[in-house]
This record gives sequence, structure tokens and C-alpha cells, in this order.
Amino acid sequence: MRQFRNMIYPYVGWLAVMVVVPMLMILLYAFTTAGNEVTTFRFTLDNFVRFLTDAVFLDVLKRSLLIAVATTIICVILGYPIAYVIAKGPEKSSFFWIMLITLPTWINMLVRTYAWVGILQDDGLLNSFLGLFGIGPFRMIHTTFAVVLGMVYNFVPFMILQIHASLAKMDRSLIEAANDLGANPVQSFLRVTLPLSLPGVLSGITLVFLPAVSSFFIPKLLGGGQYVLVGNVIETQFLTSGDWNFGSAISLIMAVIIMLSMWLTRKVDTDPAAGGKGA
Amino acid sequence: MDHNKKTGIGGKILLALTMIFFYLPILYIIVFSFNDSRSLTKLGGFSLRWYEKMFADSTMMEAVVYTIIIALLATIISTIAGTLAAIGLSRSRKVLRNIVEQVNNLPIMNPEIVTAIGLLMFFSAIGIKKGFLTLLLAHIMFCTPYVMLSVSPKLRSLDPNLADAALDLGATPIQALTKVIVPQIMPGIISGALIAFTMSFDDFIISYFVTGNGVQNISILVYTMSKRINPSINALSTLVILLITLGLILANVIPILKEKKEAMGKSSGKKGIALGMAGIIVLSVLGIIGFGGNSKMDAVAKYGSDTLKLYNWGEYMGENLINDFQKEFGVKVITEYFDSNEMMYTKLQAGDSYDVLVPSDYMIQRMMKDGMLQKLDHSLLPNLSELAEGVQNLPYDPDNSYSVPYFWGSVGIVYNHNNVDPAVVEAQGYEILRNTDYKGRIYVYDSERDSFMMALKALGYSMNTENEAEIQEAYEWLLDMNNTMAPIYVTDEVIDGMINGSKDIAVVYSGDATTILEENEDMSFWMPNEGTNLWSDAMVIPANAENPLLAHEFINYVLTYEASMDNSEYVGYTSSNQEVLDELSGEDGLYADNEAYVPRAGYEKDEVFEDNPVLKKTLAELWIKVKAAK
Repeated sequence: MRQFRNMIYPYVGWLAVMVVVPMLMILLYAFTTAGNEVTTFRFTLDNFVRFLTDAVFLDVLKRSLLIAVATTIICVILGYPIAYVIAKGPEKSSFFWIMLITLPTWINMLVRTYAWVGILQDDGLLNSFLGLFGIGPFRMIHTTFAVVLGMVYNFVPFMILQIHASLAKMDRSLIEAANDLGANPVQSFLRVTLPLSLPGVLSGITLVFLPAVSSFFIPKLLGGGQYVLVGNVIETQFLTSGDWNFGSAISLIMAVIIMLSMWLTRKVDTDPAAGGKGA
Repeated sequence: MDHNKKTGIGGKILLALTMIFFYLPILYIIVFSFNDSRSLTKLGGFSLRWYEKMFADSTMMEAVVYTIIIALLATIISTIAGTLAAIGLSRSRKVLRNIVEQVNNLPIMNPEIVTAIGLLMFFSAIGIKKGFLTLLLAHIMFCTPYVMLSVSPKLRSLDPNLADAALDLGATPIQALTKVIVPQIMPGIISGALIAFTMSFDDFIISYFVTGNGVQNISILVYTMSKRINPSINALSTLVILLITLGLILANVIPILKEKKEAMGKSSGKKGIALGMAGIIVLSVLGIIGFGGNSKMDAVAKYGSDTLKLYNWGEYMGENLINDFQKEFGVKVITEYFDSNEMMYTKLQAGDSYDVLVPSDYMIQRMMKDGMLQKLDHSLLPNLSELAEGVQNLPYDPDNSYSVPYFWGSVGIVYNHNNVDPAVVEAQGYEILRNTDYKGRIYVYDSERDSFMMALKALGYSMNTENEAEIQEAYEWLLDMNNTMAPIYVTDEVIDGMINGSKDIAVVYSGDATTILEENEDMSFWMPNEGTNLWSDAMVIPANAENPLLAHEFINYVLTYEASMDNSEYVGYTSSNQEVLDELSGEDGLYADNEAYVPRAGYEKDEVFEDNPVLKKTLAELWIKVKAAK
């Protein structure tokens, strides 16, 4: 049981050096003010106060969280059936499908998002297509729809991969047993398959929600510059206004919010996982 | 799952729809890579010009190779490390497990720019040379958590007694690991590896800030080169698709062939993938052999080195300039690109060294103040005499002690003269952006300084004002525009948007306006009477340049008639060479009837930006509030 415990220690060391130390350097900025030079700073909480007392910024934060939650929910709803169908098929073809789903993600995200700009434009591909049936044109680009679509497009493969991984090689005898004991397909799915795949769903949620909250390319290109999400605010601080202190503070605020919500998710997670172990 | 091995009709439809969703944009990219026109949204004829351009660009081909090698190495290392760590973690005490899981989430959760700046400072602090190694370390750093996140759920549903049973039955720990645990969690490992590969392959911001010395990946190029539209990016993506597909086919075909030969095939799937990957590397390496620079010894003798490191805006150079310079002087030029002055400044401050930079006016002023620039030796720059009148005596560096202008221009209004009366534009100037007759039909350039310039000028103030009341008034002006006009804030997409006539009015840089007017005859350009921003980007040599002699040679070369002509013809921005400027805007010139090409000179209300970091931060914050207001 304890044989493999030591394998974590090298990684803990690596985390300390490569993740924690750089983060501490960023933290220093969050709690200080003035210039980019570490030499001439003083400690302050101004950066946090500035963000948290401003209605506009709080709105931005709220909108970012809402968009990320919506994206995550849609990814689960779309991703689960897709992963299920793939996992249900023969093993060879499921590898093929997984590769097909992964392949587009290897094309640069910016290029793919630009392609969506062309597809969603007022006189773009989709509207031209709908026009053939006399529908539309619809205003799609620079709307919430476009932003969420862009996010789902970019992140749903991770959801599918995670759910598929948890469904693949699932002990089939469990379902047989459920069927033998008189469960109908719906029951055996709800009582056996679904609970067993929940850990995969949860890590899929992590993989979609975290990048969705902080993404800034997608809202910028598909939503237009007026679609300000918290990722855009942070990016601007570092890349155009040069206010690292404020940028660091905002990202710290976000990190705290996200860690709290992940901690809550994990609380929810413990029950079904325990059930899974017992099975 | 259940016994039903066949995918039902519903499943088939679902998969088909999924594939359409995933591959529609990919198809779009492939189609547009053969597009004759420069547009990313309008199809012209069939052409291979973007492929020619891509293959002629050794930076691009090198980037393909670096991307693949880094992605493969990062994937292999982080998959192994992440799997071992996840197994170790599953056996650890709860406290440690919680801490590691939270810290692990940091790289996934932090906006990339935060991780990037953290790593940049870290690598600079320990004094490691930026390039391949730092890039690889950073990629392993952010890939490993993804692997762990994929492997952990599988471990959680794994019976913990399995490994113990194996050990009890006499297996060594390594055997228990490889024969019992790993096969059970294989789906998690594979999906972790796939995600790691994706993350590494697609990473831009972190890579940008941790790399250096000419090591660039595809994403860095894509991001910095799409500054202005460049469809060769589509060609590059198509090439990547082709390479990956080829790799996958190899991975699938080789095991089948083997199976036929040996009638066995359990482990050959993995071997097939490995072979496929090796195939990709060999193909791509073969692809760039022959692109290497041919340096000459006399360059080393003359300049002390045969390599020039240039740091310029993306898509801001004539097509042949670099190649011609390399040939003429027998040297190699390593070009890196930036997308904002602040990006460049950040890398420079972290100690990265370049020989020639092309920052904008206010940034040059700041770098002079910070002592980051070298004084130029005018005896090495005889072509300074070619400088256009409009860029002489610039306020930030009147006698060109530190900088030599590269491109210059103004900011003005591009409008569709079929839909907007020129008389109205000329009478209202910037105020037309608050004229509700044109609601929903305007693009505004997404930059705090140019937006505030517009508002301040409309109100009759100086664009360099520090007067709080005036700034507040300008803020309200912009807020009013935002709330009444439904503007779309864009950066470089404005070029394509106006060429396609998506909107009727746009605030743009004169150089971009030149391109728009060339491509769309319905568009006109107006420099408002209220005054505008007279900007200039100029070549400078940083204090820590390794090769100042060659840097002077390059600056002098850019000023020549041939190089300036190439630059201005290709980019469309206003030349700093008087002869080229005259010729291009003259009767038979390329930009003869283009009112945007020659900026207005000597108009008293036009100003040049002054460096003011405090003001810049204030404006940046106000600008975000304008955009975010609903």
C-alpha cells in the first residue's frame, strides 16, 4: 500500500521550484505598488481594494464566472453522450474517434478562432448557408453566443477525453450484474455507469472551467473588444498598460475564488467517489 | 459498458454532427490557405502563393520543427512524471494530497500571462540562458498537472488492493507498477498524454516569455505575425494538419502491416505511434534541411559576429528585405516579433539581448530615460540623409542620437463614402463617432491611448494632458460613445473588416488605412481638423546589444532606397525615406491616389505621444471601464 508513496516527493520538489517560487514572485507584485522594479516598492493592499470596490470590475468578474459556468455545463451536456457513444463502440474504433477529436486541438487556437470569425460573420459561411433556406441572416459575431461557442469548441475535447477515459475499461461485469439483477438499461446507466464515470466528469469540469474563466483570446476575437472578461483585464495590465501590480492582484483574487469553488466541488465529489471505491 | 458493441443510429448521427462541428473551422482554414486574396473572410481565386511564402520563410519552417520536438519531449516527460507522481499522490497522506492538488491547479487556473511573467522572472533570476531548455522546462511544468488530472480519477476507481496482492504474490514493486497498475489506468494516461501534447503544441504566451535566442514555436509566430493579416499562417496550419494526419496514418498502418507479417499485434499499436511520431520528426527535419543560413567568415572578421538579432513588430517588413540583407552582407538574421511595445519592454527588462529593435515614439523616450539604448554612431549611418522631412526633428529624439525612424503615420477615420457623406465626416471629425445616425456601424481601435487621443482632441484638449478634469471629460465622452453607438472595439481585425465593408466608419492607423483603401474603393480617409496622433516607429540599438556594428549596418541598410521601397510597398505604412515616399505617392506611384499614405505634416494640432507611465495606467483602467460598461 505504501510502496509507491515516495514517488511523490521528487514532484513536490519540482512543484516548489517551478510553480511556487514563480507564483511567490507574482504575489510580491500583488501586495506592492510602483514601477516594475522590485527595488522601489512598498507594501499595500490598494491593488485589491481598487478591484473589489469597483462595480465595473465586479461586473466583469461576475460575467466571466457566468460564461465559464455556462461553457462548462454545455461541455458536460455535449461531451458526455459523445464520450459514451465512443466508449460503447469497439475499442479500435474508439481510439480512432478519440484521435479525430483531438486532432483539431493541435491546430493553433488563434487560427481556429479566426476561422470561427469568418464562419460566424454577418455575411459569413453560416449565414450564407442559412440564407439558402431563406433563414436569417443572424447577428452572431460579437455576441455572447459566439464567445460561448468559441469556448465550447476549444474546451469540449478535454471533457470528452476525460469522460471517455473514465468510461473505457470500466468493469463490464458490473453492468452485466446490474442487468442480471433486473435493472433496465436506464437504471443500470444511472445506478452503475454514471456514478463510476463521475471522477472523469469532475476532472473534465476542472479542465474546462479553469481555462474558460481566464481565457482572453476567445472573447477578444469572437466577442469584440467590448466583451471584457477578467482574463482580458489581467492581460491588459501585463501587456499594454504595464501595471503588473494590479494584474497580479486580480489574478490572485481570481485564484482564491476558483480554489474555493474547486474545494466545494471536491466536497461534492467525495461521496460518489467513495461509492465507486466500494463497488 | 454494455455488450452492444455496435454504435446505434443515434450514436452515428451524434458522432457525425460532432465531426462537422470540429472540422468545419479546419476545413475553412484549409480552403483559405489556397485563397488568392489576402482576406481571411472573402474568397478570391485559387493560389499557392501562401505556401511559397511559407516555404521561403526559414523562421516558419524552424518553428514547425521546434514545436514538434518540444511537444513530443514535453509530452513524454510529463506523462511519465505525471503518472508516477499521481500514483505516489494516491498513496500519500491526505494533507499532502490536498496541498499538491491545489498547487497543481495553479498552472491550469492562472491566466497564462501570470504564469508566463512568473517564469520569466524566475528564469532571469537564476540566470539561465533562454531558449530550448527554458522552453522545454516551462512546457513540462504546465503539462504535468494535466496528466495528473487525467490519471487521478482512474486511480481513484482502482482497487487499492490490486497492487498489494501483486506484491504479496512476489512481484517486485516495479513489476506491480508496470504489470498491474499502469495497464489499469492506461486510458487515463493516454488522455493525459493527448492533453499534454495539445497544451504544449498550442501554447503561446508562456512560450513567448520564456524562450529566446531565436527558438520559437508555431504559436508564437502565429500570434505575432497575425498582427496584420497573413494567410501563410493558414498554409502553415494546413501543413501541420498534413503532418499529423500522416503520422496518424503511419501509426495505424504500420501495426496492420506488422500484424499481417507476424500475426501478433498487442504492443505494436504503441510501437506504431512511436514510429509515426518518429516519422513526423524525420519528415519535418528533412523539410527544413537546406534552409540553414550560409554565413561567411569575412562577416565575422568585419563585424565580430555573423548573426544579427532583430526584434520587430509582426508583418512589418518587406518580403525580401531580410534575405537580401543576408545575401549582401553574408550574415544571418534571427528575427523575433512582438505585438505591443510593453511586450518588448518586458522581455528586454528581463535581460534578453537583441541587436536592433523597432519600438514606438513614447517607448523610445522611456528607454532613453532608463538608459536602455546605445548612442548611434552617425559615421556608420550615411543614409541618414535620406530621412523624410516628416520624421526629422521628432520631439523624443530630435537629432537621431538614439533612433532612426522606420515607419510613421497618423490616426484618422476611414469611412465608406457611399453610406456616409464626406461633408459630414469633415465637418464633425471625431464627433461622428457619437452621431447616432451611424449607430452600430462603427469600429473603434482598441487602444487606450488612441481612444483617449480621439476624445481629448474632439474636446479640444491636448492628447498629452495630465489635467484630471480634462481626462474625466474625455472618459465621459468615450462612455457616451460606448453607450449610445454600440461600437465594436477591434485591433488588427479592423483591416479585414473594413476591406469587406462590414462597417461604415472606423478609427485606424494611417498605414492600415492605406491597405484598406487599396483593397476597397468605397473607402475614404480623413484626418480630423481637431488634430491627431503623429506616431513613428524607429530602429534603436539596445545597450546590451551583442553586435552593435552589424546593427548599424542593418539600420543603414533599411534606409536605402531598395529596402525602404520593399518595406513600404509590402506593408503599406509610410516610408521614412523621402525618395521612396515621393515616388510611391507620386503620379505613377503605387499609392498615387491613396489619401492615407502621406500623413499631414506641420499641422499645429497634431501631436506626438509623450511617455508617461502613470498616465498610461490611469487611461488603461478608464478604457477598460468604458469597454466593460453596459
